[in-house]
Amino acid sequence: MIWKTIKVNFHRLGSPPTFYRLAEVLAPWLWGGFAVCAAIGLYQALYVVPPDYQQSDSFRILYIHVPSAWQAMAGYVVMAILAVIALVWRIRTVEIMAMAGAPIGAAFTFICLATGSLWGRPMWGTWWAWDARLTSMLVLLFIYLGIMGLYAAFEDRRKGARVACILILVGIVNIPIIHFSVEWWTTLHQGATIRLFSGESTLHASMMPPLVWMTIAVKLMFGAALLDRARNDLLDQDRRKGWVQSRLGETT
Amino acid sequence: MIPDFEYAFYVWTSYGIFAVVIAWQFIQPRLRKRRIEAEVREERALQTGSYE
Amino acid sequence: MIVSSMSALIARDLRLAVRHGGESLMPLIFLFSVIILIPLGVGPGPNLLSAIAPGMIWVAALLSSLLALENLFRPDLDDGTLEQWWIGQCPAGALVVARLFSHWLITAVPVIVFAPLAAQMLYLPAEALPVLVLSLLIGTPVLSLVGGLAAALTLGTNRGSVLLSILVFPLIVPVLIFATGAVSAAADGMSASAHLGLLASLLILAITLVPLATSAALRLNIE
Repeated sequence: MIWKTIKVNFHRLGSPPTFYRLAEVLAPWLWGGFAVCAAIGLYQALYVVPPDYQQSDSFRILYIHVPSAWQAMAGYVVMAILAVIALVWRIRTVEIMAMAGAPIGAAFTFICLATGSLWGRPMWGTWWAWDARLTSMLVLLFIYLGIMGLYAAFEDRRKGARVACILILVGIVNIPIIHFSVEWWTTLHQGATIRLFSGESTLHASMMPPLVWMTIAVKLMFGAALLDRARNDLLDQDRRKGWVQSRLGETT
Repeated sequence: MIPDFEYAFYVWTSYGIFAVVIAWQFIQPRLRKRRIEAEVREERALQTGSYE
Repeated sequence: MIVSSMSALIARDLRLAVRHGGESLMPLIFLFSVIILIPLGVGPGPNLLSAIAPGMIWVAALLSSLLALENLFRPDLDDGTLEQWWIGQCPAGALVVARLFSHWLITAVPVIVFAPLAAQMLYLPAEALPVLVLSLLIGTPVLSLVGGLAAALTLGTNRGSVLLSILVFPLIVPVLIFATGAVSAAADGMSASAHLGLLASLLILAITLVPLATSAALRLNIE
């Protein structure tokens, strides 16, 4: 019985007006959640946590750099899952969602690279190094831009989305490379200090809370922005259809 | 109010980049929605011949 | 059936390449332009040149691979031959592999053959030469595979060429890193087996996944 409801609702999401309504309702909550978590996280990051013994205040960049990096990768994985669904079931709203994730993922990758440079300059003396993790993050940025460019280059939006979904799936190889790059190669970038499953993290407990809040905040924001952009794409593609016309007829 | 950090430039620039990018991700869809709605209204006005 | 279809396609591609004589020499022209012009730009010092030699030769290989990608599938799409790949008995994936193989023969083999000469001109130590040729043998097929995938993805677009290059670059970065790393290691007298092993694993990954993705992309773009 539950399985049947799940299936029915899954396919209902394929209906543009239903999806639009859902996104319209859900997005403000996600933005609100982001605002709360970010406020708490930023306050703790800037005022509560004491300066680091070795890096003094520049380590506070961690609270922007790390959540953005994690979200850049997590966002790509979300897009890859959506891409599989889009290619297998050919659901238009899922194609739109997969494409909507790319600009946001690119934005987070950019934040990660920029804040990384700003952290690296005072601490390690260089804005950039061609080591494994930095290079593979840069590669991720180019893959995101490639997905956006490929999607934009097609006149037929549905075909463009599906071709770009193939590209998303090809590029997924990069994600494990980024993640394990600090283990496989000796790099300038530091190794993994935060362990989710395998025991003690080497980051001090007093420094953890803002990181947790910012990570949650960034995930909520990704979801909110994804729904916003997907809604707009759907509106744009369906502008001549009945449901859009009647919806906009109400508001004018 | 604003704490005095060592490496203040780098820290604040990082947080600033974060704020600007997130703000853009919030604003851009709203701007685009407004533009799409205006275009749809324009097209409908062209068809019905009624401009207000 | 499959083998005869594939060899027919390869033979046709090679015949066309021979007829377009001048264009087919571009890989060699690229290679020798790179090794003549760059020393003119950075100075003839042997230490510098031998240090950048692996990268230079590999960039030449990459550029010659990129050049032929634009027209890898487009002429066949335009005259309708590409659709035939899905109608006949031979699976389209096999024909994709055949097309990529002929691309490799035309763009990479000249570079591989002349790479030792180019390396000598750049003062690369003799012990690095076998590793150079080996890295090219293992790595250039990956270039052809990934390039072919990018060409298939951008087939349905109008302004494909810039986009094609943008798509290819991030995907072949690991190939370049491992290949040039292998040659540099060998030039320093160290073992290149780790680099070459990783390069080989990239080739295996590419050869199993890319033909599938490429024929899916072509299928989409034919409609």
